[in-house]
Amino acid sequence: MGTRERRDRSNKFDHELRVLFSNCANEHLQKPTSLCLTAVGGYGRGELAPGSDLDILILHDGFESQGAISNFVNSFLYPLWDRGISIDHSIRTRSQTREIARSDIRVGLGLLDIRFIAGNEDLHSDVSSDAIESWHKGRDGFLPQLRKSIQEREARFGELAFLLEPDLKEARGGLRDINAIRAIEKSGVVTVSLARLAESEALLSNVRDVLHGDKKRARDQLLLTEQDRIAKIMSFKDADELMGEIAKAARAVDYLMDLTWHRIESAKKGWFNKSKSEQIGKGLIVLNSEVTIEKNYEISSDPGIGFRAAATAAQRGLPLAIDACILLAENFTPLPNPWPKSVLDDLVSLIGAGNSMIRVFEALDQEGLVEKWIPEWSHIRFLPQRNVLHRHTVDRHMLETAVRAAALTRTVKRPDILLVAALFHDIGKGYPKRDHSEYGEELMKPLAERLGFSKVDTEQIALLVREHLLLSAVATRRDLDDPATLNFVIRKIGDPELLQLLHSLSISDGEATGHAAWSDWKAKLVSNLVEKCLSVMAGVKPVSQPDLIPSGELSAEIEVTIAKSSENTDGLEISIIARDQSGLLSAVAGVMTISRLNVRSAKTRTTNNIAMMRWQVEPDANTEVPSVEKLVALIEKVLSGESDLASKIEERINNHRNYPGIPTPPPLVIAANDLATNATIIEVRMHDRPGILYSVTRAISRFGVDIKSAIVSTLGAEAFDTLYVTDFAGEPLSSERAQLLATKVENILITHL
Amino acid sequence: MKLITAIIKPFKLDDVKEALTAFGITGMTVSEASGFGRQGGHTEVYRGAEYTVDLIPKIRLEVLVDGSEADKVIDVIVKAASTGAIGDGKVWSSPVDNIVRVRTGERGTDAI
Repeated sequence: MGTRERRDRSNKFDHELRVLFSNCANEHLQKPTSLCLTAVGGYGRGELAPGSDLDILILHDGFESQGAISNFVNSFLYPLWDRGISIDHSIRTRSQTREIARSDIRVGLGLLDIRFIAGNEDLHSDVSSDAIESWHKGRDGFLPQLRKSIQEREARFGELAFLLEPDLKEARGGLRDINAIRAIEKSGVVTVSLARLAESEALLSNVRDVLHGDKKRARDQLLLTEQDRIAKIMSFKDADELMGEIAKAARAVDYLMDLTWHRIESAKKGWFNKSKSEQIGKGLIVLNSEVTIEKNYEISSDPGIGFRAAATAAQRGLPLAIDACILLAENFTPLPNPWPKSVLDDLVSLIGAGNSMIRVFEALDQEGLVEKWIPEWSHIRFLPQRNVLHRHTVDRHMLETAVRAAALTRTVKRPDILLVAALFHDIGKGYPKRDHSEYGEELMKPLAERLGFSKVDTEQIALLVREHLLLSAVATRRDLDDPATLNFVIRKIGDPELLQLLHSLSISDGEATGHAAWSDWKAKLVSNLVEKCLSVMAGVKPVSQPDLIPSGELSAEIEVTIAKSSENTDGLEISIIARDQSGLLSAVAGVMTISRLNVRSAKTRTTNNIAMMRWQVEPDANTEVPSVEKLVALIEKVLSGESDLASKIEERINNHRNYPGIPTPPPLVIAANDLATNATIIEVRMHDRPGILYSVTRAISRFGVDIKSAIVSTLGAEAFDTLYVTDFAGEPLSSERAQLLATKVENILITHL
Repeated sequence: MKLITAIIKPFKLDDVKEALTAFGITGMTVSEASGFGRQGGHTEVYRGAEYTVDLIPKIRLEVLVDGSEADKVIDVIVKAASTGAIGDGKVWSSPVDNIVRVRTGERGTDAI
């Protein structure tokens, strides 16, 4: 086992073949120098696994007769075949080789590694330079073919890092991918840091050597039954450690492969050459269609930049540049305890980005940043699960769960809690003496507090972690028609909102685990259980109206004060008191949008014709904060109809669309009448973007109803607006009218996505 | 020879399996099924929206037995699967012409 053994094996064959070749050539050929023996593929690279074929190519210059060549080849190959050595051979002239390399990408790839063994050295060097040249020139045709073949291979063999019985050669992240990356490098289209591959290649090759043993034509699939034996031979503690190391190696390959394709695509678009950069946040730019950190930015004075960069990249569907990750790791600055709210927000937007999060998270993890920020992560990093239900290592399983949870954020009131619970639900795994759910709860409590969650939220997240298997266990094993079953669940999860969170977590967890653990059938059982429990709990409490009461009389039509936010480090708190009039809320919301003040949360309430508003906003990077006078003037202009707000906002939304973006669930608008507050509640849930509140409130005002109060919040990248509306007489809307309004608002949000 | 098919509530599977094993039945086929009978599915109202749950998840269990044992096996299943509530399921038997054990080629009652 080891590179040296593979080299020795290859050298040994070289020597034998050289002797045999020269004997046969002298015996059968008129001009022995008209032939050349070369090695291609793995043998060409000079590394032979015990069970590998010898791939050889015999080149000739066309001088010898067909008969002479055939006699030569027979006398050369038969002794080898008789000894049971498996040889893949071909016999070609230079032009035949060029022809076939052009039409068959596999031949072309194999020729990139061509190596001289014996005979006429000039023949070898001609063919070798042909191969490189043709690969270079034909890359626009070859690279898409190569990519397709890699994708087909992945569909067939799966991902090496996450499979229980992976194929070391063919699976994604395996040995064949390493060769593919090398071939891409040789095409000259992008540069790839091959040094990063060396460690992975050595480990995967060593495991394969041990797996092959002395067997001829051994398989490359690492079966469960073999893993203990191999771990022992290679002096790993156990099979888990072996599989963990394999996962690590494969992930490094996988990551580099993703990055390589991404760079090729950018190069194709021409961005690579132009190196156009665009500022997208404080200290962040998009360069070569990757998110990266500005040159000379003071990283050490801004500990939140890591998550800001990650969230920005994931939400825009862009990768996080490898250089940025290295920079972050080199200048690592720990986060304060607890994390600032803006960092937690960024973590939530990162997790909530769905599929595009995995690539960004992997990039952080590859540089060891995740462990530094969240030390609890180390223990489950690359931790295999030797369990027939699971497909993935623990860390990847939690990421996959978070991806599924991101699609369900609209089904719960607290998407931030759902996403964080999903990302950490199995954090207690890998401690054999402890039940992973219970221990997970213990680990989760201090972790959630450190992330910056309130005491109440922390308790909820920890409870979700502890009970994440409750619903599926009860639904399949207990009588759902028995009130005792429902009471059992309700005693543990007393709150309807928490139950819905747990339901979404169970679905995400089940879907991420795989078909063996989750099916439509099981999903239905679980949702039956949840619905029955909810009907026992009877309804869901709406959010109560904000407690803002104006004090005294108005001194001006509109009063504005701006102060530093007490909640966000870079944020502002803007308070507005104004005489109420139709369209006031949408005017103020619109002014915030065009002034590039991103609304994080807001509370408004109108009493006795006076509107009070309190806004928490975050100015865009490099945006000058407008003065109080400017804001008042803008609002007045909009209210009097002088300013064309709609088109300016449209422009803002369009700018926002310039990025690839990520798939998000459609907006959701729910109407419900609330007897306690004597108003109709309109609840809006959607992916955050500029101008939502403006669109929503404008649609409501145009519908001819009053907005009494509003609560606006942004949880990660999820906007969550609750509006209390009445008709002009101050009465709640009829349920038909409320429904119509909800549909109307939803349609507007869908068409303006 | 008879094929006994039972549709039961999912949580009763373990009880039924245990009862059948105690009776001496060693093999059975279990699958996830959905359906409804007189129970007719049900409708839930939640926050103004109506969810219709028309197909209810059930377990389908199949056992091959000698004709003389069929009635006793049915009794065993019914007893173990019963909760007395609506939706407990159904058990039925049907005649079987022949059975072959794939591994040995044995036929008829020998293959049960």
